[in-house]
Amino acid sequence: MKKTVDVSLPIGPVHPVFKEPARIKCETMGEKVLSAEVELGYVKKGIERIMRDRPWQEVMFLAERICGICSVIHNMVFIEAVEKACDIALAPRAAYLRVIVNELDRMQSHILANYSYCYTIEHETLAMYLLNIRETVMDQLELLTGARVTCAYIIPGGVRFDIKPADAEKLKLALLKIESDIRRFMGMFENGRMIALRSKEVGILTPEEARIAHAVGPTARASGVRLDERLNHATYKLLNFEPVLRDECDNYARIMVRFQEVLQSIALIRKCLNEMPAGLIRSGGEVGAGSYSWKGEAPRGELTYDLKTDEYGRILDIAIMTPSIMNIEACGHYMLKGIDSAADITSTFISSDPCIACNER
Amino acid sequence: MSIIQKLKNKVRSRSIHVSYVNVGSCNGCDIEILACLSPRYDLEQYGIYVHNNPREADILLITGALCEQWDDKLVSLWEKIPEPKAAITIGNCPVSGCVFNRRGSYVNPPVSKHIPVAASIPGCPPRPSEIVSTILSLAPEVFKDFEEKKR
Amino acid sequence: MSSSIIYYIREFCRPEWLKKFFFAKTPLLEAPAHFRDYPQLTGNECTHELRCMMICPSPGAIEVLKMDDGTWAPVIYKGHCIRCGLCVEACPDNVLRSGDLLERNKYEKTYFLASYFLHVDDAKCMKCGNCAVACPINKEIDPRLGSSAASSNDDVIMRVKDGRLTFLHPEKCTGCKTCEKTCPNGAITVARVVEGVQDED
Repeated sequence: MKKTVDVSLPIGPVHPVFKEPARIKCETMGEKVLSAEVELGYVKKGIERIMRDRPWQEVMFLAERICGICSVIHNMVFIEAVEKACDIALAPRAAYLRVIVNELDRMQSHILANYSYCYTIEHETLAMYLLNIRETVMDQLELLTGARVTCAYIIPGGVRFDIKPADAEKLKLALLKIESDIRRFMGMFENGRMIALRSKEVGILTPEEARIAHAVGPTARASGVRLDERLNHATYKLLNFEPVLRDECDNYARIMVRFQEVLQSIALIRKCLNEMPAGLIRSGGEVGAGSYSWKGEAPRGELTYDLKTDEYGRILDIAIMTPSIMNIEACGHYMLKGIDSAADITSTFISSDPCIACNER
Repeated sequence: MSIIQKLKNKVRSRSIHVSYVNVGSCNGCDIEILACLSPRYDLEQYGIYVHNNPREADILLITGALCEQWDDKLVSLWEKIPEPKAAITIGNCPVSGCVFNRRGSYVNPPVSKHIPVAASIPGCPPRPSEIVSTILSLAPEVFKDFEEKKR
Repeated sequence: MSSSIIYYIREFCRPEWLKKFFFAKTPLLEAPAHFRDYPQLTGNECTHELRCMMICPSPGAIEVLKMDDGTWAPVIYKGHCIRCGLCVEACPDNVLRSGDLLERNKYEKTYFLASYFLHVDDAKCMKCGNCAVACPINKEIDPRLGSSAASSNDDVIMRVKDGRLTFLHPEKCTGCKTCEKTCPNGAITVARVVEGVQDED
């Protein structure tokens, strides 16, 4: 074979499709990608370091600001780890409220990820439809928590606000609209021929590779790996949660898993609203000494908080493992390798929903 | 004032190209900028067009508390933007470092140490309507009579 | 087919449509009433309990200052405030309001309890007395507390005596973090144990 010119193709750190700075270095032969490397380190803030020696009411906000897109789950996993470390009881009604807010957050994050993907493959119509329906989800978050992005909703022993009956009705109505719209957009995505050309059989991550790279979240579930931390969560067990799995292993499957999970979240929220017991939303309980390691399912995969508190509830030591680092590695090592067109590099990277801010903290 | 200048003022106030750069934010402000693009807020009806190419931009939106990696990169990015140009910082981070500005963190706020900042939008994160209204109120003022002022 | 094309051409030629297409702009959306905006003063009298400064998670966002007319009032600094609303919830006198937070708290009977513990690391402390001078409670008890922080008043929270920082009345501490902020070495720490509670009906 005649050797064409080998090009080392850098993409980033400032690139139109990236919301955050990252650099992908690709070794290409013609259009074909031979190998790829993802270079990070542009937004390192040292959050874990400044979390030390601070009480929960400050660390909670730092945890929330690890990632602005999935802020609720960071808040939730941190507070649950603190609760489990110090044996704080949780008010039963608050457990359901936490699930509602968490699932709303997951919905907006998944819709945003699908928006980014559609935008990257230049299907701007569907992208704008998705961004518009995301605003409806954000309105519901604001209705419940009073803020759009950084909600500051979950505190040890409960949540900050109850849901008013009128608000619950509004939420149910909005869920109906979101569900019908998402079904329509899902149909557009499923049956669009141009979308299929850009997404099907592109960026393959086989189940074996997913296990080796320890891919998590929708990226793993699109490869048929049954990995979901919600299976180990007490409240989700009560709701009979079952993860969404697909076996196509390509970009198309990853986006479809997110669409299906949005529908699943809607069903979970409805179930919560119906089954929620009446009662208190805060049960009190002082944070004391203890240590615990707790996992939760962020929109992008499993999220671990490993922490140790002193007798006054201040954080002595904390370690966070965010999902995106595994997914980015899986993307760089397996998905990007062997892509036939350089145009698909960015779309494949976006399909694994990387969150650089989460990664670097 | 020449007719050409008047024409330029008119055109510039209706066509603002925006580029945004994340210099160490938590994504919260970035997704609020994205939300401005959504049909509900519809940034483009006011003539503001977001495309992330600094070489085509008039306004640079900066989010984040300026991490060490960006000390030199932000200045070189700023120099690539053609005149007339303005920088708007979004959120608390570029102003004060927000919750990250603590002993032992790797951030280096404020951004105005490195490049001239025309306006800042406080909030953590600011609402999309706040972002839109600030860009709209600022842009015509900054670009008005640019050539005459330069002379 | 042809009739629909003619319909659209006629539709596009209407002056109202053209005007709308080129010049219509939607007015900017307003924030809904339940949005937690920057805290505003309600007009209630501030009793200088400094709970807001205690619970504020953002550095330099809120300060309780003495106004010109001699009353205390909290001041919010934009660019530092993250609009979390904790100060509104923590305030015992309902001095601040933000969105519908106050109404919600009153309806649900939720509030925060807090206790404070003062510690000083003698190895790090260099006895400069910054903490004792900066402390707003000390200032109220002994306005003449000087730069050496050697107060003769026995009611102050802390003072430097015999070359050592001693706590006399740690129970008077309001957890406002002023001493932590002014300490050059990070020697003094205020542990603030906050608990979110709700009264039963």
